[in-house]
Amino acid sequence: MNQKEIIELIDNKFGIVKSNIYDEYQLSVVVKKENIFAALALMQLNDFKELSILTAVDWFDRNVFEVVYILFSYTHNQQLILKTEIERDNPEIVSVMKLWEVAETYERDVHEFFGIKFLGNPSLKPFFLHNWLDMPPMRKDFKTQQYSDKVFGKTKEEREK
Amino acid sequence: MSDNLTYLGMEDQYKKYELFFGPNHPGMNGNFSYILTVEGHTIVKAEPVPGLLHRGFEKLVEQRLWLQNISLILRICVPEPDINELVYSRIIEKLMGVEIPERAKFIRTIVLEMSRIGAFLLGFGGIGGTTGLYTAPNWTIADRDYLLDLWEWISGARVYHMFILPGGVRRDLPEGWIEKLQKTIAYLEKRLPEYDRLIYNNPLIVKRVTGLAPITQEDAIKYGITGPNLRATGVKFDARKNVPYAAYPYLDFDIPTQTGGDGFARVIQRREEFEISLNLVKQAIKLMPKGEVRAPMPNALKFRVPKGERYVRVESARGEHGFYIVSDGTEKPYRMAVRGGSYTAGLIYAKKALEGMRIEDVALWMATMDICAPDFDR
Amino acid sequence: MNYKDKSKLAPLSALKYLFKDPITIRYPQEEKEGYPGGFKGVSPKYRGMHSNDLEKCIGCGSCSEICPTDAIRMVEAEDVEEKFGATKERPVIDYGRCCFCAFCVEVCTTGSLNMTRDYIHDYVSPIDKTGKDLSETISEEFIRRPDYKHEENLGWNTPDEYSWLELERVKMEELKPSERDHSFIEIVKGFSKEQATKEAQRCVSCGLCTEVCPAHMDIPEYIQSIFDADLEEGLRQLYKTNPLPEICGRICTHKCETACSIAHRGEALSIRWLKRYIADSVPLDSYKKYLGINYIKQIDKKIAIVGAGPAGLSAAYYLSLLGYKTTIFEALPKPGGMMRYGIPEYRLPYDQIDKDINFIESLGVEIKCNTRVGKDITLDELHKTHDVVYIATGLHLGRSTRIPGSDHKNVYYSTDLLREVSLGNEIPVEKKIVIIGGGNVAMDITRTLARLQNIKYGKVDITTTSLESEDIMPADREEIVEAREEGATIDPGWGPKEIEIKNGKVVGLHVVKCLSVFDEDHRFSPKFDESQKKFFAADMVVQSIGQAMDLSYISEDIKSKLTFGPRGRIKVNENFQTDLDWLFVGGDIIQGPDAIHGIANGHTTAKAIDDMLNKNK
Repeated sequence: MNQKEIIELIDNKFGIVKSNIYDEYQLSVVVKKENIFAALALMQLNDFKELSILTAVDWFDRNVFEVVYILFSYTHNQQLILKTEIERDNPEIVSVMKLWEVAETYERDVHEFFGIKFLGNPSLKPFFLHNWLDMPPMRKDFKTQQYSDKVFGKTKEEREK
Repeated sequence: MSDNLTYLGMEDQYKKYELFFGPNHPGMNGNFSYILTVEGHTIVKAEPVPGLLHRGFEKLVEQRLWLQNISLILRICVPEPDINELVYSRIIEKLMGVEIPERAKFIRTIVLEMSRIGAFLLGFGGIGGTTGLYTAPNWTIADRDYLLDLWEWISGARVYHMFILPGGVRRDLPEGWIEKLQKTIAYLEKRLPEYDRLIYNNPLIVKRVTGLAPITQEDAIKYGITGPNLRATGVKFDARKNVPYAAYPYLDFDIPTQTGGDGFARVIQRREEFEISLNLVKQAIKLMPKGEVRAPMPNALKFRVPKGERYVRVESARGEHGFYIVSDGTEKPYRMAVRGGSYTAGLIYAKKALEGMRIEDVALWMATMDICAPDFDR
Repeated sequence: MNYKDKSKLAPLSALKYLFKDPITIRYPQEEKEGYPGGFKGVSPKYRGMHSNDLEKCIGCGSCSEICPTDAIRMVEAEDVEEKFGATKERPVIDYGRCCFCAFCVEVCTTGSLNMTRDYIHDYVSPIDKTGKDLSETISEEFIRRPDYKHEENLGWNTPDEYSWLELERVKMEELKPSERDHSFIEIVKGFSKEQATKEAQRCVSCGLCTEVCPAHMDIPEYIQSIFDADLEEGLRQLYKTNPLPEICGRICTHKCETACSIAHRGEALSIRWLKRYIADSVPLDSYKKYLGINYIKQIDKKIAIVGAGPAGLSAAYYLSLLGYKTTIFEALPKPGGMMRYGIPEYRLPYDQIDKDINFIESLGVEIKCNTRVGKDITLDELHKTHDVVYIATGLHLGRSTRIPGSDHKNVYYSTDLLREVSLGNEIPVEKKIVIIGGGNVAMDITRTLARLQNIKYGKVDITTTSLESEDIMPADREEIVEAREEGATIDPGWGPKEIEIKNGKVVGLHVVKCLSVFDEDHRFSPKFDESQKKFFAADMVVQSIGQAMDLSYISEDIKSKLTFGPRGRIKVNENFQTDLDWLFVGGDIIQGPDAIHGIANGHTTAKAIDDMLNKNK
């Protein structure tokens, strides 16, 4: 299956929002939120057996999170970036644990750093950050300097306290 | 009394206990930990607990200029820092549409293979260390020092080289460096039979690793296990060959594979790849053309990368190292996600693999899988 | 190999390692194997402690900008001398933060900052050594200003080809000599958007240019706006300090470019052309919108400005923005002063002058042309009808060489000829011309006459000679090169002796070799070698050795109340106010001569006038 066929396949089934061919080994496809699970399942059936990474991008200005699924196929030698956008307020998306068990870790990671809730993932517990009370830190409105000032104190005297 | 204990032992809550297998254990690779639920000697449940090493790289990167990040991202992985520089630089080059000079490609290849050799040497030591054979780390880490000397010469630093830059490499090779590299490679080739005798033909090690936590081909792909661990299960795939970059398309090499995917296959796979890396360095030296080493690049203080996103994976000693970078067209990266070689192997796959394993094999399993905490705890 | 096949003696093979040399050495007690070039110890390119040549360093702060760990701070240094195009700040490095990446070395604009092969080995904690509190001693031990003491042990350095800066200019497209030497079409084509962005990208935003610019224009800011493709902001930045960007973008003496930090290793940024790019790219009808000028509250005060040159126009712009009723009195038919009547059209096209002036006029400034103060209206009358009078009449008289024959009718002044050309009048063009002078005006008249000769005779025969030898000629380098490209002969280093006249006609110019122009105190005192002589044959001689002011319109009564400084200049305070409260003087007759000084002191004067009138209220 070449890149055009991959895009056509997804387009015929679900209708894609946007697609881009980056180079001979990589392409990206954006689908609607409600189609993402089915699209991923379809791609898994079409030999995209590896979920290389699942991550998110915070588009703060547009008030959306982009959830990014990067798949790889050893048979087609293609890296497929499947993306979808979800609301930034109360973000929720269906978990893909049923397709890939590895998604459990990725989703746990993204949940912790972006606060996106993956419906159907039972282990959305703290993972990397121990005793974290602030907002998810990879969000664009989380300011490291402010956090540092708040937690460790702004001045030397405050720090020593 | 003893009857009582036996009786208590039959109750589930007393039968199992939790063991913190973390940096307190000399076999643990870095600041990472598993909480193992053990029953006797056997692990019934393993829970990975990362976070002890978390430095927030992905957040820090968003706050620095594109070129400033070169001094930061390589710290993600200490044993093999150069792959981070390469992935980062390649994404920038792809987004900017820059073709790097031929000579730079070859220099990159040499540096990458050197760092791969260095990482393998540390890995060999790890296998010795976790089986109580301390001669192995003594030898391999000392030999790795010869490579560090070479880096010090070209980049001015032994561990954090910051040598690969967007557009090429930082400096041309100094005079006499190639000769010294050739000497070092010849020396390492001479050492190989000695390593073989010490590690790979050592009955003790062979016995310990044979049959240790075998991975099936299907599992490896499903769990996203890559690199030498994947090839140990028989999948003939190498990013250097299949998704070529740097000067690899010009070099002639074959990808070895093993069958079985057990500890022994993984160890032998690394041993064979080590030999290939030595060979690749020799080939690259021979084919290296003369010329520029860096394409013209914008002023570092006003360095902007066009809007876009890329995921680039390259072959590291631990598997495929990938970055996903999004640029919004400004002076700083908008988002960077790191997918280290042992991300899945160390976390989710470990849960599966460690079940039913004996406690003393955990450290050895980590050594054979080459699990490196910074890959996921970045 | 199966381990069962192993010989029982195999373990004995380990004995051979007994006599092997160890790989590790006890460095630095023992020396490592050396590097070529006699380097012992660490590598010749080691990234160790910094060294900084304080004399060479210009304090641009690029090192501090690029530092990924925020370890470098620019601190005012007491012990460095002030020099042109440099601040007194020098980098101070916090080695507690430094990660030794050497990025600071890669972006150093002068190459003064380098790394050495020195490093701190086996650091004894201060508390062990001195018993002092750690936090106290850390600042002494770990925060230090690198100086030049590590010179002999230099490590990582950055040759120009590896610099992270862009040292080469984007080439400006110009008309070829064959295309331009017959006409007065503008030579410089101007940047396209891509070129301008690429040139703007080279800027390190150090701001050293702002310091040396007479008008203190916000150069890094407007360059940044080009880089951001935000010309609206760019225009705002320009008009903050300079209301004549089209003109300045073409003919400014660009002192900024001599101070540009990039120029230390490469070619300076084309700051002038970038300014021109902004002004060229914005159409005149968008100016008011971009600059946010909607409604100006009028103030019932009247200000008269004498002379519509850069100083007068600049003052008029800022005064009218403040709401003052401003009128400019100009003797010549069109406003612009020396910019129109002194600079040839191929350098500064008249429509560009009109663009800048039209905008100023559109703010309500009245320009009365063909009104010579002193003839059509007197200064006293202006004083009576206006609150303040600002004089900026410039230097319109030519200076004479005062050599024998210089009073002949075929010996001209360059200022007169250039004015006549701009007025559209025909000027005398002979077949063989000699021009005396080495400044930009001399080049202007040379190139103007060359064009006219080309049009009239089809060939150029002009010799330009100056007192100064070529390396110290005051004209811009590119002017000299281009004049030569257009066919003129430039023969510098000769002192004019006599204009030979035979039968009432100019025959030529006798010159003698000039050895030096200035004495040790940089005073004008030329020395000649009378034995080396030369004769330039000519039908026409033009003198272009400087200009003089004409203050004859100021009545004796007013003159008696003013103080005059050296060379007949009127004494003014820092606000360009004379001893008379109502009279301000500026432009070339005070500072310069150049346009940017005029613009700068026009701006200063406008502020001073506003202050004064507000105070009186």
